[in-house]
Amino acid sequence: MTIQTLDISPVGRVEGDLDVRVDIEDGQVVNAWTQAEMFRGFEIILRGKDPQAGLIVTPRICGICGGSHLTSASWALDTLWGTEVPRNAILARNLGQIVETIQSIPRYFYGLFAIDLTNKNYRSSRFYEEACRRFAAFTGKSYELGVTISGKPVEIYALFGGQWPHSSYMVPGGVMCAPTLTDITRAWAILEYFRTNWLEPVWLGCSLERYEQIRTYDDFMAWLDENPNHRESDLGFYWRMGLDIGLDRYGAGVGKYVTWGYLPHEDKYQKPTIPGRNTAMFMKNGVYDSFSDTHASMDQSLLRENTTHSWYDEGTADVHPSDRTTKPRVSNTKDFENAYSWSSAVLHQDFGRLEAGPLARQLVAGGNHGESWQHHDGFILDAFKRLGGASVHLRQLARLHEIVKLYRQAQHCLRELKLNDPWYIKPTEKDGQGWGATEAARGALSHWVEVQEGKIKNYQVITPGTWNIGPRDSEGKRGPIEQALIGTPIEDSTDPVEVGHVARSFDSCLVCTVHAHDAKTGEELARFRTA
Amino acid sequence: MGDNLQTLLWDCISGKITLDILVFEGSVINAPNGTGQWNRFAHRPMKEWLKDLCQVAKFIVAVGDCATWGGIPAMSPNPSESQGLQYLKREKGGFLGKDFVSQAGLPVINIPGCPAHPDWITQILVAIATGRIADIALDELQRPQTFFNTYTQTGCTRNIHFAYKASTQEFGQRKGCLYYDLGCRGPMTHSSCNRTLWNRVSSKTRAGMPCIGCTEPEFPFFDLQPGTVFKTQTIMGVPKELPPGVKAKDYALLTMVAKDTMPPWAEEDFFTV
Repeated sequence: MTIQTLDISPVGRVEGDLDVRVDIEDGQVVNAWTQAEMFRGFEIILRGKDPQAGLIVTPRICGICGGSHLTSASWALDTLWGTEVPRNAILARNLGQIVETIQSIPRYFYGLFAIDLTNKNYRSSRFYEEACRRFAAFTGKSYELGVTISGKPVEIYALFGGQWPHSSYMVPGGVMCAPTLTDITRAWAILEYFRTNWLEPVWLGCSLERYEQIRTYDDFMAWLDENPNHRESDLGFYWRMGLDIGLDRYGAGVGKYVTWGYLPHEDKYQKPTIPGRNTAMFMKNGVYDSFSDTHASMDQSLLRENTTHSWYDEGTADVHPSDRTTKPRVSNTKDFENAYSWSSAVLHQDFGRLEAGPLARQLVAGGNHGESWQHHDGFILDAFKRLGGASVHLRQLARLHEIVKLYRQAQHCLRELKLNDPWYIKPTEKDGQGWGATEAARGALSHWVEVQEGKIKNYQVITPGTWNIGPRDSEGKRGPIEQALIGTPIEDSTDPVEVGHVARSFDSCLVCTVHAHDAKTGEELARFRTA
Repeated sequence: MGDNLQTLLWDCISGKITLDILVFEGSVINAPNGTGQWNRFAHRPMKEWLKDLCQVAKFIVAVGDCATWGGIPAMSPNPSESQGLQYLKREKGGFLGKDFVSQAGLPVINIPGCPAHPDWITQILVAIATGRIADIALDELQRPQTFFNTYTQTGCTRNIHFAYKASTQEFGQRKGCLYYDLGCRGPMTHSSCNRTLWNRVSSKTRAGMPCIGCTEPEFPFFDLQPGTVFKTQTIMGVPKELPPGVKAKDYALLTMVAKDTMPPWAEEDFFTV
């Protein structure tokens, strides 16, 4: 049974506990609640501490996105202190962010997602036996290779930062390292190894150059048909199987998307400021509203949090994250009419609830907003329109599509590093407010820091998990995963693997305990954990 | 998973299935007011599962600073009332109490670090599983000596600069030792980071990041109070904390000699591009 397989998955709990409760009626999910079940209080711990404490503490919020937290923490201090960040340091930070995300893609796909394709539900699919051969936990041919190869990219992180995870090599004013020629050449060798041992032969079945010619959904389908190597690659095989078992037919969600944008251009963000950030990112920021098919740029000042349905004594009004006071409620009894989660509801002042993640990034990448030099890619937006919106399947494709682009960005960083130029310019500490953001593999991440009299007055973090896992807001509107679960067909209510697909398609890096309830009787039908 | 997982856990607790090794990650969360309700797992406070499982486990291995000493969650003001399994910071006791021993008669085996190195975890588990538990000597903090007897500095490529007191005065330098100005705790911290390396390729101190002492119970040191992050704490220019066993008077003598004998290349870009 797949459930059993998941239990022994090597990528288990990474960031705390998530419960999902769903009501099922006539074989479909009709209501859903996502509940974060662990409180650690990082924001409270950081109060009164050294301004740079976030560089040490926040990477440890999460074992798989530590580099992304470090990226946000250091850029937040850069904007606060008004530092100058040398070109080399921007590239070295970007490289860390990139390789962490490249690591995450095969680790997530094989270690967390694809093992469910071997679930007994899909036994009647003509792809089933091959899926078991490739994706079965531990024994699958691709599983073993994919999980093993996922450790390679972060060796580059270790060359620059000393170790992955949990280095603090990014500091306001630059980076701590000063790599040598051999660090750079070793990094190249690691990238080459990753490409020639997995990315091209196993994942794509073609060269990066051939894959990069895909610009539209029709291009992608033509690529699939062009060559048996493409069809039989893990990407080609997954896409065909996903359509066969209907992963494209559920998991839609809130239909509005957000990304902070990331990877600052090495020549355009050496004097980092909060307002200057949007026009300095290679991958542009934005909001995509699929109902009106429009793109808008994103600004941190438009963000709100609401704790009406969370275990905090902070009122019911929408507040900006920097105005949060983080007052946990002593009694955290589950009450689905009232409070049921440690997560807050995050919303955009104008657009309301937004989905974060690779799908959001790629839908925004297809917009015509932003600077002319910023990255533009219309493929996923086109696929979104052709396939009638978001789904579990499209969320995967968006994530998987990013790997080739990030690989190219990593090469760019290695090419542009200048060994004899500075890596760090010592800044002057001062009081004030800072904000830093990036895109973790699983979506929009940002840190707000306020320093007064040389110590942290307030530190607030909004992770991709907060965006996606959040409970209902003050108007009772569901969060992105809650909404995405609505309409999910359940073939076997004692083994609701489809609920797992939806929850996992957000890659929320939480252990999810999924409770399936019968909507009529309230009887608990099944519980199982997703990683 | 889920019901299956719960059945499995209950079968371990009832003795139907032998629990050979219990590996625990994460702090033991006691908030609010000792109830543990702020961290529930499968409908019970995690600490209740843990209490039951610890009673039946042959061996117990705490992995990472949270499980060993409480880690970052237990840093002041410790809002989640976190503890390690058998310690809170350096104080013995923790969740299980100072006299606790598992079924095999051993205290909790502590594998600290934030994170713990994968080799430390897997090699200790293999040692237990292959009947070599008798060869695992524990130190006074219940850490396996094989990994935690030497100092983080052992094997650091900056040792030569340490010897001549050549300092890395600010970040982004290839030369110098990080101990004198940037707060490196490599000489005082017990770990094998520079012997086994991370991700098989490097270590923080080799790359230029000061060791922050993450295998010691006091981590994060000084509770990250203002002025303590990436800065060596000094009195009259002398580091407050000297390598263990070195006397302040001898250190002053050594400094004079080292600086006098320092060859010119020690202050140059030693690891040239």
